Amino acid sequence: MRFRDSWETFRRSRVGPIGLMILLVFVLMAVSGPIYVYIRGEEIYHPLKGVDPVIKGVSPPSIRHPLGTDHLGRDLLAQLMYGAQTSFLIGITAAAMAVFIGTSVGLTAGYFGGAIDNLLMRIVDIMMVLPGLPLIIITAAAIGKQSIWIIVFLIAILGWAGTARVIRSQTLSLRERPFVEAARVAGASDTRIIFKHIAPNVLPLTTLYLTLGIPGVIITEAAISFLGLGDPSKVSWGMMLQWAFTTGNTYNPYWLFPPGLCITLMALAFYLIGRGMEEIINPRLREI
Amino acid sequence: MSLATYIIKRTIQIAITLFVVITILFFLFRVMPGDPTAFLLDPKMSPEAKEIIRKQFGLDKPLYVQYVLYVRNVLKGDFGTSFYYGVPVFERIKELLPNTLLLWVPAILLSYFIGINVGRRIAWKRGSKEEYIMIVLGLFFLGMPIFWFGMIMIWLFYHELGIFPAGGMMTPELWLDPSTPLWKKVADIVYHLLLPIITLSIGGFAGSMLLMRNSMLDTLREDYITTARAKGLKESVIRDKHAARNAMLPIVTAMSISLAFSAGGGVLTETIFSWPGLGREIVQAVLNYDYPLAQAAFFYISVIVLFANLVADVLYAYLDPRIKY
Repeated sequence: MRFRDSWETFRRSRVGPIGLMILLVFVLMAVSGPIYVYIRGEEIYHPLKGVDPVIKGVSPPSIRHPLGTDHLGRDLLAQLMYGAQTSFLIGITAAAMAVFIGTSVGLTAGYFGGAIDNLLMRIVDIMMVLPGLPLIIITAAAIGKQSIWIIVFLIAILGWAGTARVIRSQTLSLRERPFVEAARVAGASDTRIIFKHIAPNVLPLTTLYLTLGIPGVIITEAAISFLGLGDPSKVSWGMMLQWAFTTGNTYNPYWLFPPGLCITLMALAFYLIGRGMEEIINPRLREI
Repeated sequence: MSLATYIIKRTIQIAITLFVVITILFFLFRVMPGDPTAFLLDPKMSPEAKEIIRKQFGLDKPLYVQYVLYVRNVLKGDFGTSFYYGVPVFERIKELLPNTLLLWVPAILLSYFIGINVGRRIAWKRGSKEEYIMIVLGLFFLGMPIFWFGMIMIWLFYHELGIFPAGGMMTPELWLDPSTPLWKKVADIVYHLLLPIITLSIGGFAGSMLLMRNSMLDTLREDYITTARAKGLKESVIRDKHAARNAMLPIVTAMSISLAFSAGGGVLTETIFSWPGLGREIVQAVLNYDYPLAQAAFFYISVIVLFANLVADVLYAYLDPRIKY
């Protein structure tokens, strides 16, 4: 029972299950956002278009609005719940794209070696030292349009290098293992060896890098939205903080604290899960 | 590989990266669909002035000639005229660059100092409650958006406690008054600098702390640590002289990645604290559609990051005896 062993290790890591629990809360939050808005009435509680006929501007938490309202009288709780959706959407898709590119590059470089490896790794070196956030800011300016898919794409394009480096070194060692040798002697093609024999073995590492990549994406997206370069049609936590900042409401704790705490805790949840997974994948960490 | 060859090799690599940066800028603003003149020419300019600039940037010439011209102009520091300020872009950059360095350099050094020291400490106390708390706290800080942390700092230290200014770099009245002595002016800048530096360094220490811990745990497993113990050396000597010194190497290697990351933190911190530096300017320029200024700000931020990388490389070469035979 391999799965049960892994789960046992994960559980004993202490931090892993805590991460899972935090994540579960956010999943519930994301799912219940639309339900909350539906039950309480679309016209007033819609996170972007909601208009409260009674409360026109900023208001502290009340029974009517459990977390208060923003400068346009919109419900902060609804925004917070929809923000969880945006973070999941962007975090998972961008990290998945980045890890996919990184794994492909790492497998190619590690398996073929030589000039290809050299070229790809020099590209990785360059990608690693480019200042990511400023580059995203300036690219977003040059493109002009603001949509979450452009943001996802930019984050992924700039974020694959770390994974590529790790997968490459793993591939380098896998390439020399007897089972790969056996496959080669049996006449398997390069593609077959890569996909059938090497790729499945780097998959755990890829999953780990996916998990550890998501927080970075979530923070980057928050920063982009905070700077006013986000997608205006989707509420995100970074955008809530931007609204608070640009309308001079940073001194209202009920507006300042929840979005930032959500970003931090969601990122933390993925880091904790990642650490739990690390103990399964890298047994060396378990000793001592 | 001798020390000199190593550093020359790294310098060449960094120079290549700088060309990549210039090329990215060129492609972003010339080749992207749309009219490249929109990125270069202020819509408010007269047709004659537009014609002059068009000639200067060679927009009437083939693309590769444009590229050569662009590289030449960038290397000369000529990014054209700012749309927003109406002055040569370089004039702006000259004012902002020192301010950025004033904030970023101490903050990054401080964050490494804290990170390395705490990381060393908790690795030494493997399995203790302190280690567990610091790891979770470290991951919390790692996941925390720095601009939010900055906003909390302003809320707490300016709005609630009133000890620090909300932002900016100097008190205008103090600087406009000709009778103010120099030391007061300097003290005024330091006073404005403290909160942003604390924000940037606390916001960034977690990465180096966790890395230092891992690296330290690796070195603690080495034979020479056992040897040192067997020799009966003092625990603090083993920790600081034998283990920590060697554990530093991966930290310096990882610096290049975290420096690129710190630049993002720097941009956000400057924005939050209205610090008149390159990071705040790149955001402002983008929001003002001031493309020449935005390109220049990005270029100089990249130069800072790449130069810091070079420093990290030299440091690595200095720390690692294997490079010096």
